[in-house]
Amino acid sequence: MKVGKNMIGINRKSVSFIAVVLLLGIVFVKSALTGSIQVTPFELIHGLLTGTNDDVEIIKDLRLPRILIAVFAGAALSVAGVLLQAVMRNPLADPGIIGVSAGASFMSVLVIALFPTLFFFVPLFAFIGGALAFFLVYSLSWKSGLDPLRMILIGIAVNALFTGLGQAIGFSGGGITQSMSQVTTSTLTMKKWSDVEVIAIYGSIGLLLSFFVYRWCNYLSLEDRTAKSLGVNVNLSRFVISIIAVLLASIATTIAGMFAFVGLLVPHIGRTLVGNDHKVLIPFSALAGALLILLADTLGRTLIAPNEIPASIIMAVIGGPFLIFLLRKSNRIYGH
Amino acid sequence: MDIKEVTFSYDKKRNTLSGIDSSIDIGKVTTIIGPNGCGKSTLLGVLSNHHQPQNGQVLLDGKSLTDFKPKELARKLAVVHQQNNAPSDMTVEKLTAYGRIPYKNFFSSTTIEDEEAIEWALASTNLLDKRHMPIDSLSGGQMQRVWIAMALTQQTPYLFLDEPTTYLDIFYQYELLELVRSLNEQHGMSIVMVLHDINQAIKYSDVIIVMKDGQIAAKGKPEDIITVDLIHDIYGVNVVVKHDEAAGMYIVPVGI
Repeated sequence: MKVGKNMIGINRKSVSFIAVVLLLGIVFVKSALTGSIQVTPFELIHGLLTGTNDDVEIIKDLRLPRILIAVFAGAALSVAGVLLQAVMRNPLADPGIIGVSAGASFMSVLVIALFPTLFFFVPLFAFIGGALAFFLVYSLSWKSGLDPLRMILIGIAVNALFTGLGQAIGFSGGGITQSMSQVTTSTLTMKKWSDVEVIAIYGSIGLLLSFFVYRWCNYLSLEDRTAKSLGVNVNLSRFVISIIAVLLASIATTIAGMFAFVGLLVPHIGRTLVGNDHKVLIPFSALAGALLILLADTLGRTLIAPNEIPASIIMAVIGGPFLIFLLRKSNRIYGH
Repeated sequence: MDIKEVTFSYDKKRNTLSGIDSSIDIGKVTTIIGPNGCGKSTLLGVLSNHHQPQNGQVLLDGKSLTDFKPKELARKLAVVHQQNNAPSDMTVEKLTAYGRIPYKNFFSSTTIEDEEAIEWALASTNLLDKRHMPIDSLSGGQMQRVWIAMALTQQTPYLFLDEPTTYLDIFYQYELLELVRSLNEQHGMSIVMVLHDINQAIKYSDVIIVMKDGQIAAKGKPEDIITVDLIHDIYGVNVVVKHDEAAGMYIVPVGI
């Protein structure tokens, strides 16, 4: 078999997968062991199995939920980015940048402020908010095709609008600030196993669905006309993929807070390492996203211990320059 | 294929196509020519159901195009569009295999028929040695052949090409036109294409449809319809029509 110089071989894909799985495992264990309470790996496993070690019980109550939420949020946001990029055929689509997360966050805050008893349904309202923001960006930036820069500009405007609305409610609220801090800030502290359950259930559903639609994502990378000529139902594909993306972004935002750039950074690295085929790109982005947020959170709570830097701030510091890099590159690609 | 009183408008103010009444012959190469904005690409779009006419209809095997399910139509009619895009790291073979989408449902996997269709398409377009190459390593002419291979993999009786020679060097233009001719002669495919070059249309078509202002100005065999008067009426260009032993019939523009 003749292999072109640009072709991404099977080897590179496998190595990338193995590397990210190994790193995720290492960071996971390291994160579980590191903090104000220190245990050995043996003590941790023994304690988790028997429940006799008080230190391990504290880790189990405080540290493990946080780790699992970081893992699911990272996976969900990255895959949401991949899906949005497929739908909008735009490498710059990211749920945090174009306002999907802000929309989800705003609706969560609104529901908690107005109807605190509906707390259980917050993920549903977050989904509606995310979908609303996505619909706004999509419909406003569509003008016989999606211009990447127009989409980013409208996304920034929608993002600012929903962020502002969310903060306005935050400032006008009194006794509700405690429960609201969960959705407006993005530290991963004070997470409970009930939070893990919510993100694990909805997150897993979203991730599973995303693996099922990989073919549609691939078809959408053709021009719409070409895909239609092949009998692909382009509108239905776009709609279904968008719903899954909004679900993933909303649930991550509701439980873990706002993270910009994850959905941008991870898929881009994924495309470089494993290529553009969504069959591989989606699972890889899920793993790499989990690794990235977990790493950011672990660094955030160990770098200046006992104080913490929120993982979202670490992500913003990494992601900002990266977005500039991508925008410059995309100027070359699209020739605007 | 029958075109019945088709009227189409993009903006509902001005008709891009008005009252087109014609037919496409089975087993022939039909070329649509005409000046910019005459509606030739739009007509091709209506014939391939990308545009639905406001009035009239297009019948394929006696059935209106709008009554076909998308995949059912994609098994009858393949289109090579003027502008195309695919991820740069995709291989020739994978992209060609997309032509089998019309034969698949959500869960089906690759069959022997799929593989045979892909082999045939790659062989017909002379791409067998490039099958594992990523598409960004191909030249413009090779890339255009990949899009045709994808369309061939659909194994349709009709093949539509929208300005397939645009952006290609002259060698690749004729390579492509020869390929189109051989698909018609050897596999009996009915071909409809839009071309800019009148001489290429004369040389490679059984039937030419000449369009102006959203209507068909002339239709017939090249030798029968291409005249000095027609070209002047349509394009406003004065030409000389020549006949030559080696070249056949051709036109030479001499001024406006």
